[in-house]
Amino acid sequence: MVSIFVVGLGVGRAGTAAEGLALTDADIAHRFQARREWVLAKSISDLPPADPTKGSIFDVAACLQQGKQREAALARLARINQPMPDGSMFWMFPMATVMLAGHEGLDAASWARIQELWRSYWPSRGDTENHWALYYSSLYLAAQTFPESGPEQWFNGQSAAENMAEARGYLEHWMQVTTSYGQGEYDSPNYIEEYVIPMCLLAGWAKDEGFRQKARLMADYVLYDYVVESLDGYYGGAHSRVYPRQIVAPALTPASALAWLLFGFGEPQSRGTVQLVALSGYTPPPILERIARDRDRPYVERELKRTRWRLRHAGPDSFVIGDKRTVPVYKYSYVDPDFILGSSQGGLLQPIQQQTWSLLWRTDRGARSANVFFGMQPYSSPYEGTMYFGGDWDTVTDLIARSKADYDSPDKLPGGSPHEQVFQQGAALIALYDLPEGTRFPQITTFFSRDLADTTEDASGWIFSRGGPVYIAYRPFAAGEWKPNDWTGLLRGGGGGFISAGFKEWGEGHRCYVSGARRNGYVVQVAPVRAYATFAQFQQAVRALPLRFSTAAAPEATFTALDGSVLHARYGAPPTLNGAPVDYASWPLFDSPYGQAARGSQRLEIRHGAERYLLDLGRNLSQQTIVPAQP
Amino acid sequence: MNPRGPVLLFLALALGGAAAVPAAPGRFFAAVAMTKAQRNSPVPADSGLYRRDAQGAWQHFGPRILGVASVAVHPAWPDLLLIASADGVVRSADGGRTWRKTTGWEVADVRSLAFDPAQPAQVYAATAWGPLRSTDRGETWQLAQAGLAKLYSQTILADRAQSGRVLLGTEDGIYVSTDAARSWTRVPSPAATVLRLAQSGADARRLLAGTQGRGAWLSTDGGRTWAATDAGTATANLYAVALSPRAAELMAVGGWGVGVRVSADGGRTWADRSAGLPVKQVFLLAFEPGETERLWASTFEEGAFYSDDLGRTWQAGGLDGAYGLDFVFAPPAR
Repeated sequence: MVSIFVVGLGVGRAGTAAEGLALTDADIAHRFQARREWVLAKSISDLPPADPTKGSIFDVAACLQQGKQREAALARLARINQPMPDGSMFWMFPMATVMLAGHEGLDAASWARIQELWRSYWPSRGDTENHWALYYSSLYLAAQTFPESGPEQWFNGQSAAENMAEARGYLEHWMQVTTSYGQGEYDSPNYIEEYVIPMCLLAGWAKDEGFRQKARLMADYVLYDYVVESLDGYYGGAHSRVYPRQIVAPALTPASALAWLLFGFGEPQSRGTVQLVALSGYTPPPILERIARDRDRPYVERELKRTRWRLRHAGPDSFVIGDKRTVPVYKYSYVDPDFILGSSQGGLLQPIQQQTWSLLWRTDRGARSANVFFGMQPYSSPYEGTMYFGGDWDTVTDLIARSKADYDSPDKLPGGSPHEQVFQQGAALIALYDLPEGTRFPQITTFFSRDLADTTEDASGWIFSRGGPVYIAYRPFAAGEWKPNDWTGLLRGGGGGFISAGFKEWGEGHRCYVSGARRNGYVVQVAPVRAYATFAQFQQAVRALPLRFSTAAAPEATFTALDGSVLHARYGAPPTLNGAPVDYASWPLFDSPYGQAARGSQRLEIRHGAERYLLDLGRNLSQQTIVPAQP
Repeated sequence: MNPRGPVLLFLALALGGAAAVPAAPGRFFAAVAMTKAQRNSPVPADSGLYRRDAQGAWQHFGPRILGVASVAVHPAWPDLLLIASADGVVRSADGGRTWRKTTGWEVADVRSLAFDPAQPAQVYAATAWGPLRSTDRGETWQLAQAGLAKLYSQTILADRAQSGRVLLGTEDGIYVSTDAARSWTRVPSPAATVLRLAQSGADARRLLAGTQGRGAWLSTDGGRTWAATDAGTATANLYAVALSPRAAELMAVGGWGVGVRVSADGGRTWADRSAGLPVKQVFLLAFEPGETERLWASTFEEGAFYSDDLGRTWQAGGLDGAYGLDFVFAPPAR
């Protein structure tokens, strides 16, 4: 493990955000530390001193770590640990947290019960990338705590040393794959915390210095991946997984909650993952906050990700990593000071909860904001289910819907489709759909948030609207009808349990433009309000843009965007930009003014102004430099 | 905290049994998932490996692991058991008193296990990510993918007539190995996912395969060639196949919307034997070893049933609410 500080570590920088926030290393560190201390203090105060039935395990961990309310914390922990656990990795990581953060404060009885639970409860490893990261990071640290324990002391009959070796083997493999080929469960506003948690656990408490360092680098890596496509802490662009609530209300995502602790965006957060991160001691490198707040100029972010491993129906575009098949995901985000328009290429890139493209805009409405615009094709089928899960053809859709109740509903909002192809350049986007006969829900859905204003259906065929500081032009190729979102009433009626919780606050009042033409598509062109004197001028400019489209055979469109780019897309064929095919073959792992990473490199160079921060996972080092200004 | 992701796995818990019914002389295991009560959760309400007791009640057996798909018992050492689970292979050498996971992080979604009857140190596993082989009774495992076009597999069978000969049902039809799973060769078989393979106890040359969308396929030459059987289910998803341990020409198939069909003449004719079952969604079939031709069936979430008259009538057999993944009959423990 090496950490090289070549030039300028901690040197004060003059950079400030638009709102005048000081962004020197010292200022950023000071504010982060204040937020962290607030979280820990709040956690301690949230544990009632005389009521062992209340308080979370993270409250317990905070009390034990900070040496406060020890007796109350131990009593609460004893109560929490009384029944046999459930929840698998969602039991493991809180337990690992209290074992490590509270190590000095735990008494013999607590340790005895903890050891007994690790012996008697067999937590499942789960089946998603985030499950495995949580499972193995927690197992590693739990085993590290009892390093001499034998196989009889562990649920799986393996010794502590064996468990540590297996866990580290997987985690290092995951890091290598992610930094070489892209993350599988990529850019999820919901599941980012399931990667921050394991990396912070390891960065905080792994005793092996090299492994601890690697986890810290990986936490930095994951968080860069987020901030570079964020706006005021809202996670923009295309996502691997997002739930119905969070696809509508970005302020309610775990990403937004983390954004407060890590970077100071949004409202204070004190529960769950922010507690764990605060306890771990992980501190994000200050360059990340500088990037998160630097939205003076538009930029393009390109990223390479990959699909979840495909068990079946891998397809001709798949390739093998190790012995598992996956498909590349080409992400493109246009990040404007006032909005993010981002997309992937479409297709079944992720099961159930994919968001292929989205527009997100700056807002000051906080938790009640629904500052998003997006389209999708509501696809559900056993083909998708058996592609990504080991279930049976005839039951897999039903079983998916037992937990993701909207999966098989025509009014769902998250989800990928094999019949969808998207091409974006700058602030313009073409989406094409070719739905075969027999498609379960033969429609495409475009979400119109209640936050939109001045929505008009223009005689030209364009639908114009305004979302806060962004003008939207949407040109459907086939007529549709307006429907209220959740028109089946599934979520309004409480369907799906937690996924519909609070629907009245986040789910009411939106509508969808639904088109039933099987060959279909649309063009989206957006622009910042600041670029036009009036909305009418924006509309006039859009009406004048050359657009040709056809759905007679394979859907096809040629569109000259406001910036003069000529986008051409034909369903089933590679798109072209200004007459040249898009070069997906050399699509970079990361590419924007803020970061560069080549495929297979395991290296990410993060940039801000003259500052360079290199994460080199292959050599397990980070390097921070200041590039002298050119004469 | 975030909710859990989409886990299509299977849990475990003790179940109420059926009314008192004579139990098999050996051990009768069922790997099931209790999905009927699964609501707003990615995991079943209960499930796992169950053993039928002398009173005909099902009792949970083994560790409570998600995604238990099957169990294999050493043919000579009945205390040596291997569980196929989502977390890997889990092994007990003491009749189930202690267990140890014997696969690493690379192995997941194990669906089927088979000891080589003549050389039971050799064990084979089908997993959703490709087959595995062990040469030390399941203590360690190696990948066994050579020759496979596609790796997904969920059923594996060790030919009891020829040691080292193994049949594997994959996404791409049936593959055969004659070198103890070191390499595989595709045999002429339906280009479809093979859901279940079974070998006759009465005639080792006779094998039956259930497929996804291509119905049932029969081999009478030890799996070298295959022919479609039962035109009535030619396009069905057949999850269940069973061959009688006593009568070479007696067999049964089951599937989604198919219920149970039985042939007593080696597949020349088939009869629907679903009357009396609550649903026609059948995932498991097995003939119970013993003096009678008792046929067991497991439905989707509506319980297990048995018939002593080849499916003409059915009796409730417990496992209410279960999604059956495997029935395994084994000799008594020592």
